[in-house]
Parts: sequence; C-alpha cells; structure tokens
Amino acid sequence: MIEGLNPGTILILGALLVPLTSGVIRSILLLVLPILALGQLYALGLGVWGQYEFLGLSIEVTRIDKLSRIFGTIFCIASLIGVIYSLHVKDTVQHFAALIYMGSALGAVFAGDLITLFVFWELTAVTSVFLIWASRTERAFKAGIRYLIIQVTSGVTLLAGVILYYQDTGSIAFEYIGLGSLAGGLVLAAFGIKACFPFLHNWMQDAYPEATVTGTVILSAFTTKLAIYALARAFPGTEILIPIGVVMAIFPLIYVVLVNDLRRVLAYSLNSQLGFMVIGVGIGTELALNGTAAHAFIHILYKSLLFMCMGAVLYRTGTVKTSELGGLFRSMPVTMVFCLIGAMSIAGLPLTGGFVSKAMIMSAAKDYGIVVIWLVLLFARAGVMDHAGIKVPYFTFFGQDKGIRVKEAPFNMLLAMGIAAFLCIFTGVYPAFLFSLVPFEPTYDAYTAGHMLTSVQILLFAVLGFVLLMRYKIYPLEQPATILDFDWIYRRGLKSLTLAIGRLILVVWGWILGVANGALGAIINVTARTHGDGKLMARTASSGRSIALIVAILGVVVVFFYR
Amino acid sequence: MTGLSSQFAALVVVLPLMFAPICALLRGRTLPWAITTIVSALSFYVSIELVIAVNTGGPISYHMGGWAPPWGIEYLVDPLSSYMLLIISGISTGVLIYARDSIAQEVADKHLGLFFTAYLLGLTGMLGICITGDAFNIFVFLEVMSLASYVLIAMGEKYDRRALTAAFQYLIIGSVGATFFLIGVGLLYMMTGTLNIADIASRFSEIEDTRPARAAVAFLVIGIGIKLALFPFHVWLPNAYSYAPTIVTAFFAGTATKVSVYLLIRFIFTVFDPEFAFGIIQLKDILMPLAVLGFLSMSAVAIFQTNIKRLLAYSSVAQLGYMALGIALASEAGLTAAIVHMFNHAVVKTGLFLSVGGMFFMVGSVYLKDLAGIGKRMPITTFGFVLGGLALIGVPLTPGFISKWYLVVAALETNSNLGYALVVAIMMSSLMAVIYIWRVVEVAYFRSPPEGAEHKEAPLSLLVPCWMFILGSFYFGIDTTVNVGLAETAAAFLMGGAP
Amino acid sequence: MTEPERDKKYWLEEPKNQNKVFYCLLVLCGLLAIPDVVKLFGVLFQTEGNFELKSLLKFYSIYGALCYVALIFIAKWLRPVLLRKEDYYD
Repeated sequence: MIEGLNPGTILILGALLVPLTSGVIRSILLLVLPILALGQLYALGLGVWGQYEFLGLSIEVTRIDKLSRIFGTIFCIASLIGVIYSLHVKDTVQHFAALIYMGSALGAVFAGDLITLFVFWELTAVTSVFLIWASRTERAFKAGIRYLIIQVTSGVTLLAGVILYYQDTGSIAFEYIGLGSLAGGLVLAAFGIKACFPFLHNWMQDAYPEATVTGTVILSAFTTKLAIYALARAFPGTEILIPIGVVMAIFPLIYVVLVNDLRRVLAYSLNSQLGFMVIGVGIGTELALNGTAAHAFIHILYKSLLFMCMGAVLYRTGTVKTSELGGLFRSMPVTMVFCLIGAMSIAGLPLTGGFVSKAMIMSAAKDYGIVVIWLVLLFARAGVMDHAGIKVPYFTFFGQDKGIRVKEAPFNMLLAMGIAAFLCIFTGVYPAFLFSLVPFEPTYDAYTAGHMLTSVQILLFAVLGFVLLMRYKIYPLEQPATILDFDWIYRRGLKSLTLAIGRLILVVWGWILGVANGALGAIINVTARTHGDGKLMARTASSGRSIALIVAILGVVVVFFYR
Repeated sequence: MTGLSSQFAALVVVLPLMFAPICALLRGRTLPWAITTIVSALSFYVSIELVIAVNTGGPISYHMGGWAPPWGIEYLVDPLSSYMLLIISGISTGVLIYARDSIAQEVADKHLGLFFTAYLLGLTGMLGICITGDAFNIFVFLEVMSLASYVLIAMGEKYDRRALTAAFQYLIIGSVGATFFLIGVGLLYMMTGTLNIADIASRFSEIEDTRPARAAVAFLVIGIGIKLALFPFHVWLPNAYSYAPTIVTAFFAGTATKVSVYLLIRFIFTVFDPEFAFGIIQLKDILMPLAVLGFLSMSAVAIFQTNIKRLLAYSSVAQLGYMALGIALASEAGLTAAIVHMFNHAVVKTGLFLSVGGMFFMVGSVYLKDLAGIGKRMPITTFGFVLGGLALIGVPLTPGFISKWYLVVAALETNSNLGYALVVAIMMSSLMAVIYIWRVVEVAYFRSPPEGAEHKEAPLSLLVPCWMFILGSFYFGIDTTVNVGLAETAAAFLMGGAP
Repeated sequence: MTEPERDKKYWLEEPKNQNKVFYCLLVLCGLLAIPDVVKLFGVLFQTEGNFELKSLLKFYSIYGALCYVALIFIAKWLRPVLLRKEDYYD
C-alpha cells in the first residue's frame, strides 16, 4: 500500500478505471475497491500522512485517529454494501459518480485540514447529484438542481468560514473550532446544511426519494454522516447543538406519519436519527461522543438496510407509496425478513446494534442532567416505532393485500441486504466489536436488565398504541399527497415572492433602462462631439498651439515639482 | 566573452550605422533592401546573444574605444536594454521581410537607396538609445533616430502629400522634445559634472533637493513625454503614422514610441530613484492622470476614425497610456506590466499595420469606405487583422490579455479605491477597443464589396510576415516564458536598486 | 406473475388469527409491566422512598404508549394544514 495514501483516493482513482471496463471485470473492480480502501485504512494504522506546505498553508491529506477511523470503517463497509447492491446496474455514469462520491466522503473523513476537507466536501456534492439525475425524470432533474444548489451553498459557506477562520487563527487544521466567532458560525452552518439541521433539511427529503433505486441507498449512507463526523470533530460540547438536535429528533417524526412515499418516510426518519447524533455531539462527553460515533456506525447499517429493502420493493413493483403497497410478504419474504431486522434495529430492540448505540446516547443524556433532553429522546424512541415497526414493514409487507405479485429481489440485492442485516445483529449481540472502534475508552454496558426491560417496554407499548389506533380506525389513512414542509418557503413562497419581485424589477429596470439610455446617449453625443472625426480631440492642432500647450504643461510640472 | 562576441555590445549599433551610407550609394529595388534586411537580421541575432548573455551572466558594460567610464562612453546592456534590443531588432527584421514589395510600390525607385539609409539610421538610433550608458549619447542617438524618422515619414508623399506637413510638424514638435531632453541632461550635467548615467544616478541623491535638479526632471519627463506621444503631446503621431509608408508606420508603431517608454523607465527607475520620483516629487500625480485620460480619450477618438491607419495610430496612443499607467503605479507588478506591454503591443500593432498594409497594397486605400467587403475580397489578410484586433482588445490567449492582466493585478495591488477605479477605466478602454475593432470587422464582413471589385489576396511576401506577427502574437499570448519572463527579470532588476 | 399464489391462504390473513396476534401482544405487554407493578407496590407501601419521575407507575410503558398516540394525534391534527395534492409543486 502506498504510504499515507488517503483511502478515499483509492475509490476516486479506481472510479477513473470504471469507464474502461465492462461486465465481470467491472463488477470485480467495483467490489475490490472498497475492500482495498478498508485494507489501506487498517494497513496505515493511526497517524498522519501527506503533509504539504501549499501557499503557506499546512495541508494534511491523511489523518487517521480513532474518531475518523470508525467513520472511515463504516464508510468502507457501506461502500461495499452499496456496490454489491448496485452490481446489476449497467449505467456507467452511476457507478462512476457513486465511486467518486463515496471516495470523496471517505477522503473528507480523513482530511486533516480544512482545505482538503473543503475540496472533498464539494466533490461529494457535485458527484452525488448524478445519482439523483440518473433517474432521468423531470422530477428528479428539478430535485437534483435544488439539491445541488443547497449542497454547493454548504460548500461555499464552509469555504467562507475556513477563510475567516484562517484569518482569525492562522491555522487551517481541522480540529476543534467551536462557536467563538463568525468563522465558527459559518462552518457550523455549512456542516448544519449537510447534517439536515431543522429548516436546512429539506434537500434530503426532497432529493433522496427521487434518486435511483441504488442511488438512494448510497446517498443515505454518506453525506449526512460526513456532516455528523465533521460536527463531532469541530463542535463537540457546543450546547446550541442540543436544542437543535432535540427539534431534529422530534419534528421529522410528525412527517413520517403523514408522508406516503416510503423512501421519503425513511428520509424523514433518517433526519430524526441524525437528531440523536447531533444531541450526542452537543453533549460532548466521552460517552456521548462514543455513542454518536457508534450510532452513526449502526445507523448507516440499518438505514441502508431499510433503504435497500424499499429499493428492492421499488425495483420490483415500481412504487414505494404506502397507499399502493400491501401484502408483499407473499412475494418477497426474504426482503421482508431483512426489513424487519432493519426495523428492529432502528427501533433499538435488544440484540440489535441500534439498542447498544441508542442506549449510549440516552445514558449520556441522562448523565448530562437535563431531564427534557432525555424525555425527548425517549419520545423519539417511541415515535420511531411508527415508521420502523409499522409504516415501513406493516404497510409494505402486511396490511391490506393490494394484489401485487412480483418476484423476490435479485440476488445481489439480497446479498447486500444480508450483509447489512448480519452486521446489525452482530453488533447487537457482540457489542465488544463496536466498542473496539469507538473513539474513547468505552466504559459502558448496554445489556443490563433494566435497560433491556425498559426499552422493550417502551417499544412494545408503542406498538400497542398503534394496534389500538388501527383497531378503532383512528390511525390516519394513507393517501397520495404532498406534505408541506419547510421547503414550501423556497419552492412556493420564494417562487411567488421572486415572481412578484421580478415584476417589480421589470418595472424599475425599464425605468432605469430609459434613464440609462438617455444618459448613455448623452455620453455618446458628447464623446462624438468632442472626440469625433475632425472634432476637438481628433483634430490636428497647429504646431504653434501644440507647443504652447506643451510649454504650459511644462510650466505646471516645474511648479509642481518645486513645491 | 572573447573574440567577436566580446564586441557584441558595440556591433549591434555599429553594424546598421556602417551600412547606412553604403545603402545610399546603391541603386535598384533589391540590393539596398537585401543589405538592410541582412544587417537588421544580424542585429537581431546579436541582440538574442546579448539577451542570453545578460540573463545568464548579468549586465555587460562595454567601454567605447577602451576609455573607462565615466570619462569614456559606456555601453551598458542590462536586462531591460537587452529586452529592448530584442524587440527593436526583431520587429525591424520582420517588417523588412515585408518591405520589398510594399516599399517598391509606395516610394519612388530613385529614393529607395536613401529610404533604406534612413531606415538603417533610424534603427541605429533606437538601438543606440537603448544600449548606451551615457546621457548625452542618448540625445545624439535620439536625434539620429528622429531625423531619420522625419525623412522616412516624408517619403509617404508619393501617395499623399500630407506626409510632408506631417513630417514637418513632427520635426518641430520632436525637436522641441529633443531640446527639452537636452536641457534636462544639461542641467544634470551642470549639477553632477558627469554624463554617465550610472554616475549621475549615484550622485543624484545629493542634489535632488536643488531647483536645477527639479527643473531637469521636469524637462526630461516632458521631453520624453513628447517623444513618447504621451497624451496630450501626441499631436504629431496620428498624422505621421497615417501618411508614412506602411512599413515605416509598422516599424515605428512597434518600436519608436517604445524607445521613449524605455527612456522614461530608465530615467525614473535608474537615474532618479523611484523613491524620489514617486515619493518626493509625486511624479505619479502627473503621469497617472495623463495616462488614464490618454487611454480613455484616445480610444474614444479611435472609434470615430474613418482611416484605419489613423484609427490604429490613436489606438497606439491609448496603448502608450497603459504603459505610462504601469510606470505610474510605481510597483514591480506595474513595471512588469509596462515592460511586457511594450513587447506585446509591438508584436500586435506591427501585425495589424502590416495587414492594413496588405489591404493598401491591393486596394490602394486605407479608408473604411473603400474597404467595404474586404473580408470577402482578401479573406486571409482580413482574418489576420481580426485576430490582431482580438489581441489588441485583450481576449484571453492573446498577449493583449497578458498585459492587461498584469496591469489590472498591479492596479489591484494598490489596495485602494483608486486601484478599483483604474480597473474600471481599463475595462472601459478595452470595451472601446472592442467597438473600434468591430467597426472594421463590420465594414470588412457585413458590407458587400463594390461592383466589379477584384477578389485577390496580397502576395505571399506580404502575407507571410504579416501572419508571422499575428501567429507570433498568439504564441506569446499562450507561452509567456519569453515576454513575461524577461520583463519580470527586467522589472525586478530595476526595482532591485539602480546599478 | 405468480398467479397460483393468489389462492394460497396465509395464516396471517385469517381475521381470527389477526385477533390472536392482538391478544398475544396484550399479554406480552402485561407481562412486561409486571416488574413495574411490583415496584409500584413498593412505592405505595414504603412511602419514604425518594420520588423520581421514572419510578412512576409503569413509566416507560405508559410514556411509550402515550408518546406514540400523541405523535399520531399531532400528525392527524396537522394533516389538514400540511396536506396538498400530490402534484402540488409540479
């Protein structure tokens, strides 16, 4: 392995080979790259490589410590899963874009300085949009444009923050930044956009459901978790993150209940889960950060598992709308089993990975001493049942039989789901594996009787609530609809406002144009009258006058110099 | 250096000087032209050698007749003067290749020998100004160049008798300029007791507060300004360039005014210290307004011209304004911009004048009304003009862009509102360049040629040199190691402290 | 596609089996609540024990169920406000 090569660059360089290959060779290439990257990550061990001086800035291309390693590890695993899941796809653009996207997310995790981070940060934005556009629909195109604008805004904000930060501190090291200055605020905002902070979140729910079957799976794993990593790196213990996380954890759950498109449901639930992590970063204790990192790890597994299941359903049936699905357990039993495992994991049932990581964050919250946070997290845990336990598996695989009969998902999809499902359970049964990766010394035991009992209680009683609501027909019926979210502000409100402003501008502009036309005409007239052919400035003055002028200027200059 | 190469510094001037009288004795169309071309090419070769020598071994000091300075006359080749030698002899050689057919048409046969004599003397003067290290010697060469140029401009009388009045006016104003220059040098001599530039420079700080020294500065700046055609001393230039034979215009547009720019740089940065020139007497406050007014006003005048040569002449005055601005910015970046623009403008403007010369050769007129549809009649020549025009405007990948880029950078480096205002002014002037080039394009391509007009290209002997300059200008716009590299060295040398 | 499957009756499709699942769930919930009920007795009979929120009667269980129901009701209540036609933005 090349000394100090950022593992992300393996994927990026490998991507360049993709257009040259096809068939089996391409499949092998795609599979080998994430494994190579993982190998490189562990061959390097912990340390810092690739330090350069560039224009007086200290660039640090590869920095592996325990925090970046756990994110890097799961990114490699997610890449592998994503690649397996999309092996049947023949679209070169998608493979190419996906590899660079995954590689740049991985590269960003190992960036030791803010410039390198920025470069990879923007690269993730620019490449990921192709996974959305690859759906090749009008909706996907428009959503992709909106996505790209917001993602690039994040990058530009980051750059502005980095420049200010450099001016303030003279350093571009990617370390604790904190909210001490405008620079910190800008960087936080940039991270916040990618981490789907409330009111900055709509790009995800807008774009992810429009991406391709495989694209959504890949997208869901990287961008937001990269942002969580960046937050954990630069803003641990920043208290403002706690209320932000609280809103993030609860607010999307309401949408989960209402939204019809299951991939959009999962996107909202993803947002809620990110709230857990943001709270963890905001608390900032060792246990909280451990919990955040572990939760990100597990979260990627179960979230991509769920996205993969929905992707398989979409792939086979052509829809993921609750109002159109139901009774699929007949046709896709294996997918159903994997989906249930993912659902149990996101709900945090004991013996799944989600149980361990959620317990860590909840304990950290409890230790932190503000009861509200803890109650909110508890609320989110109960609320998560709605989509995890019920909406996604129940309405897809059980519920009313809509008579859809399809084949089971293709083998490569099942394999990818199987790996993710296995890891979900493995981390739950054998949490020591997870603890060996977390950034700080773990001092936590999730499997106490109390923990297990309470979490089963809370989840089962939530299910009881659902069953009762269903039995007495109180549960809101699913129907095809668009649910308004904050993106109304820019998709409708801003649009109308822009149109109104546009009309105003047209009027004002017309007026300005008129005035400018007049002014310009006057200038041209004056110029023509003074500079035109044969006019004052273009005339050949007589030698006598010229010399008089020259002498006059000489006089002025002499006086000027004498002063 | 040993042998002949040790005499290069003298040879570059002596060669054209010696062959000038020989030309006067020769008759016929070919012989005087051939000798002149060969001599010019030799000078070019020697200049290249000198550039290489200076850039590897440092400045060369050559003592005329073995008399050590400050008693004898010293020829001093430093990065800037070698750069100038390269421009002058290079342009001259290129133009001469073009000259054979062109000049035979524009000048009476019996005058051809004398024409080339004057040409060689003009070349001698320019090269001499740039190479000599003696202030009085500069004046001598300045007069040699000027007298030769009066003659050369007057030679245009075969086609247009106005060439005579133009030459006469140039003679009057040019002589005033030369006189001012001489007065300035005389005052310096009075105060320092020496004519050697290095010597004057080393003593200048002692006398800089005296009134004669201040007067000397004023006389020198104005005198050089007249020769440089700095706005508003440019009165002589448009007529002289319009009515002179094509190759004279092309040669002078590329070199003569640049020599004066060289002199300005030399006096400001070597003789007077920049600290004195810009710090104590605030030369900037004189130079900068003239420069900015110059390029704005002259670009505007160029828009309204009906004679292409005259249009290009006014554009030249505007371009000289850019160079003056670069000097007035008083920074290394500004100086680099000025020096590099000398090179770039020389190549581009010569190419443009040569393509106009091609049109004149075939059509017999340079008035826009006579050139309607010239793009269809002489596509190759006209296309050359368009490319040259793009370079003049400063489109990326052309040398014009390089110069303006450096100029804008230098202006922004001042970090002041003035800098931004200057950038706006430069942009406006470039916009006007678009307009005046567009006027020619519009006439050339969007108007139909007159009934029965011949569709015939200029002969190869005109096309090839013309395109050599056009393509060369693109080369220097893309690979800037030569023009920018040498200019940066020269600027760094000048700013690094006078010798 | 696989037409014969349509006729195949699954165990889960019988309404009475669905009821069975429901009752199983009730029993399960009851069983899970036992430890808390026991603790409740402790709270009732040993009044000197310090009162904590989470030691409230079946706190986790009730909280879980209440949270869930609350969530659904909030969503239901917000639905008329937020719901638009599917092609609202198009």
